[in-house]
Amino acid sequence: MAAKDEAVRRLRELLGETALKEDPDFRAGISWTVSCAKESLVPVMKIFNECGFYMESLTGLDFQDTLELVYHMNTYEPRSRMAVRLLCPHDGEVPSVTGLFDSALWQEREAWEFFGVRFSGHPDLRRLLLPEDADFYPLRKNFGKVHAYRKREEVYG
Amino acid sequence: MAEQFPQPVQQQLYSLNLGPQHPSTHGVLRVLLTLDGEYILEADPIIGYGHRGHEKMGENRTYLQFMPNSSRMDYLSGLLYNHGFCLAVEKLAGIEPPERAKYIRVICAELNRISSHLLWFGTFLMDLGAFTPFLYCFDDRENILDILDRVSGSRLTYSYCRFGGVARDVDEVFIDQTRAFIKRLRSRWPDYHNLVSKNVIFIHRVRDVGIIDKDLARRFGVTGPNLRAAGIPFDMRKVEPYEVYDRFDFEIPTGTKGDALDRYRVRLEEMEQSCRIIEQALDQLPDGPYRQERVRLKVTPPRGEVYFAFESARGQTAYYLVSDGSAYPYRVHVRVPSFGNLHCLTAVLKETLVADAIAILGSIDIVVPEIDR
Repeated sequence: MAAKDEAVRRLRELLGETALKEDPDFRAGISWTVSCAKESLVPVMKIFNECGFYMESLTGLDFQDTLELVYHMNTYEPRSRMAVRLLCPHDGEVPSVTGLFDSALWQEREAWEFFGVRFSGHPDLRRLLLPEDADFYPLRKNFGKVHAYRKREEVYG
Repeated sequence: MAEQFPQPVQQQLYSLNLGPQHPSTHGVLRVLLTLDGEYILEADPIIGYGHRGHEKMGENRTYLQFMPNSSRMDYLSGLLYNHGFCLAVEKLAGIEPPERAKYIRVICAELNRISSHLLWFGTFLMDLGAFTPFLYCFDDRENILDILDRVSGSRLTYSYCRFGGVARDVDEVFIDQTRAFIKRLRSRWPDYHNLVSKNVIFIHRVRDVGIIDKDLARRFGVTGPNLRAAGIPFDMRKVEPYEVYDRFDFEIPTGTKGDALDRYRVRLEEMEQSCRIIEQALDQLPDGPYRQERVRLKVTPPRGEVYFAFESARGQTAYYLVSDGSAYPYRVHVRVPSFGNLHCLTAVLKETLVADAIAILGSIDIVVPEIDR
């Protein structure tokens, strides 16, 4: 069984039918989108790890009402990229997945310094690209000049 | 009786800063090494010296204004980054370029890939102390830069692609020059192999050094030639074919062990495969317009997002664009291959010799401004 189908089957069991959304045309470059709550992030990532996925990228989106973390997971098969989306308040904390993916060690450091999301359980949460004494979060929309600062439903609604 | 033996001398650990002034590091990278004698116990790459905030800049510029930024991330394969960004925006906005433009882009992108690999080849061997191959490579690379300079007007940061086409059409001279270059490069392979690939000193320095196996590559998200050297034929040009790559006949070279020698062989073979793609594209190059006329300079894609992955010279690169329906992107994120490739060093460099560290660092082929963004 392909790694993607296996992962989808196990994610369905864990999160239920409604949390997964398929894009069969691969129009946005993502085959399945998984909406996930903070509590189930580690079990979800565990499934990805066991199915042979790697963590392609981790990034954040800043909206007026919430922050959103997007994990892109991929495996070495055609068109199998999956996105895990997680909403998190501006002063919130998210469990770290460094125990499962080593690449998260740097990717979470980057997300922390640019968006101000704390990752609980990260062993070494230092600044990665910014100066050590930086006390701002540059990719938040209230830093510097931005063109628009919107609510989440204005973009995705 | 054990206590009669003297306690071992306290371990003499010391720290060594490899870079930023070290001549063998590329870009401004500092690797903080903890050494026990000549053995590395811990390596911590310290990056961010070249951080310019491209992702933030993207939020304040129109899509077209961001095009020059894209080639400044990885300045050695700028055209590949332009190409990827262009395709991402076209996918988001639903623009379809004419056939001729697609072929021109592929030819130029593959030329750029060869030039990037040639520069790696030269600097890698210079890291190992061989100066002659460096001069050979730069001689060959100069040819590519001249060809691309003629069509795009720039030698490194091309910004040649446009949404719905390319900035300028190519002519007969370009085609002749490209064909002549491929012929010339092919006549160089025996020289390269005699000079380097069969060189005993070289083989002893790189064989079984810095092994990145499949599992390690997956845990750190290593992609590109470094992953293929471990034996996984994973190339976005084949796995998720974009542009017209599915029309060409080419192979994905792979290694077996994933040591520095495998990475060297994979990259050398990739240059030959790029030559094959260019030849086929030149044969099939259709006539017609090189640019779609009806695309506005200020594109306004509909609301939504796109994650577009492509193969740059260093591995899987991706643009993640979120649009709120205006002329300015709401979010621009770039997934860069060197990020994972460099992070992997923290595990690979453990318990190796300092002299091997230079060989490993060179064989991984990182471009630091790409990581810093």
